[in-house]
Amino acid sequence: MLEITRYELERRARGTVVLSVLLSLLAVFTVAFFPSVQQSSEALEQYIENLPPAFRSAFGIESFATVEGFLATEFYQFGWVILLGVYFGYRAGSLVAGDVEDHGIDLWLAAPVSRGRLVVERYLALVPVMVAVNVAAYAVVAVAIVAIGEPVPYRDLATVHVLSVPYFLATAAIGLVVSVLVADESVANRVALGLVFTLFLVESLSLSTDYSEIGAISPTRYYDPTGVLVQGEYDLLGGVILCLAAVALVGLAVALFRRADIS
Amino acid sequence: MSAIEFDGLSKFYGDVCGVADLTLTVEAGEVFGFLGPNGAGKTTAIRTMLGFMQPTDGTARVLDNDVRVESELLAAKERLGYLPGDPAFDDDVTGRRFLDLQASLKGDSRRGELLELFDPPLDRPIGDYSRGNRQMLGLVQTFMHDPDVVVMDEPTSGLDPLKQATFNDFLAEETERGTTVFFSSHVLSEVRTVCDRVGIIRDGRLTELADVEDLLGRSGRIVTVTLAEDVDAAEFDFAGVHDLSVDGPVRFVFTGEYDRLIDRLGEFTVLDLEIEEAPLEDVFMRFYEGDATDETPGQEANGGDVNA
Repeated sequence: MLEITRYELERRARGTVVLSVLLSLLAVFTVAFFPSVQQSSEALEQYIENLPPAFRSAFGIESFATVEGFLATEFYQFGWVILLGVYFGYRAGSLVAGDVEDHGIDLWLAAPVSRGRLVVERYLALVPVMVAVNVAAYAVVAVAIVAIGEPVPYRDLATVHVLSVPYFLATAAIGLVVSVLVADESVANRVALGLVFTLFLVESLSLSTDYSEIGAISPTRYYDPTGVLVQGEYDLLGGVILCLAAVALVGLAVALFRRADIS
Repeated sequence: MSAIEFDGLSKFYGDVCGVADLTLTVEAGEVFGFLGPNGAGKTTAIRTMLGFMQPTDGTARVLDNDVRVESELLAAKERLGYLPGDPAFDDDVTGRRFLDLQASLKGDSRRGELLELFDPPLDRPIGDYSRGNRQMLGLVQTFMHDPDVVVMDEPTSGLDPLKQATFNDFLAEETERGTTVFFSSHVLSEVRTVCDRVGIIRDGRLTELADVEDLLGRSGRIVTVTLAEDVDAAEFDFAGVHDLSVDGPVRFVFTGEYDRLIDRLGEFTVLDLEIEEAPLEDVFMRFYEGDATDETPGQEANGGDVNA
């Protein structure tokens, strides 16, 4: 079991390290900026007050007075919710479509491996990547906060990272469904990316309308770094919903792929 | 037990016919050549037989396993080796890693022995491989779990002549051991060397099923003769001469009696004479082209020997 996952994971090892390093650098820069932000915090708070509510909720802007509030907006809302959320959707778009496009899938399908197993194991190979970037960023953020002499909100910080995994599982599952539907890797990548980003926009924009329920179809509704870091609200139910959605979408991808003609 | 059985297999892409009502049995231990022009339906038939696509109608069985049923398909694949035409590997991994993966999925009882015959540079990334090395890696992958049935698409393309010979010897040993080989090719010398029987598919339909020797016997010889004299086409217009050309050396396909040919050539000064087996291409083209016209020597074949 999991031979396919292990194989795909090995191929991803270097990319995972690079991704972790880049995000860690982003974390360091963000935290390093905080002291100067704090100095002008009064003016910034006023600026935030005057931002349109939709904009504020889209970027999770709550407060720049604390390092948590600043990180929530500048690092987690941007880097995690948008960047990585879209990234995992994008990457998952390649999971099947790439091999179908270049016929690399033939050697897999010729082996005694069920299509369901192939899809699930490839999807699972993304999980360690999700864990790795979170562990790296958690450590780097904590160290950086200590370095600027602020208190580290260990528990909230850990929760933000833990709850991001179900979120990524969901966005990757969206990408996976696209990947089994589209037999062209770059198209699958872009559709998955566009879909995840659109769902993010739908959720953000719906909040300032009378139709905020529409945002419930978006994974971003169930993962809120600002809520965790600023208000200390842990949306555990949201995490469960994201996990269930991921399972359902992977199940859908398996069902679709089992019926697909690989020509 | 038959190794591969197509049972009224049809595959349509919407209204477009890929394969229509293909019925064909390949017996265990047989080397079967599956031939046809591009777009004839070879690939569709093979991919449906391997379970990559669902048949529109009918089915295929590999070692008595119905390929429409996933559990049976997987059981068949335990004992099946497949070499796609121009196999697509993950270019970033080494050949060794690829074989390790395949071994973990289906076994590798014969890997060592195969790597003595076909020796791609295992520790280099596959992306750096030449066409020949990729093909060798594909061959090792195909046979490493000691399959009972092997399906190959253009198995020797990219191999140098020495490796091609190695491959042909290896294949002969394999079939001696009872391995069934089903392969598609248009390198017809290869078909001639290794196949017992061929099936020819055109427009999705099986148009011919015959022993290779039989087919070649009907196909005639190509005669190329350089004469000192100028020649008029009419002078070579006698029974058994086809596709005559008198521009430059006189050249034609000959299916008649040699005595007759020698008599006629005796009337000229022969500077050079070459008689060779008709390339299978020509033989098959007659089938590919469908209703053989009256003058093609293969015409009897259409009536005679289809023993599906």
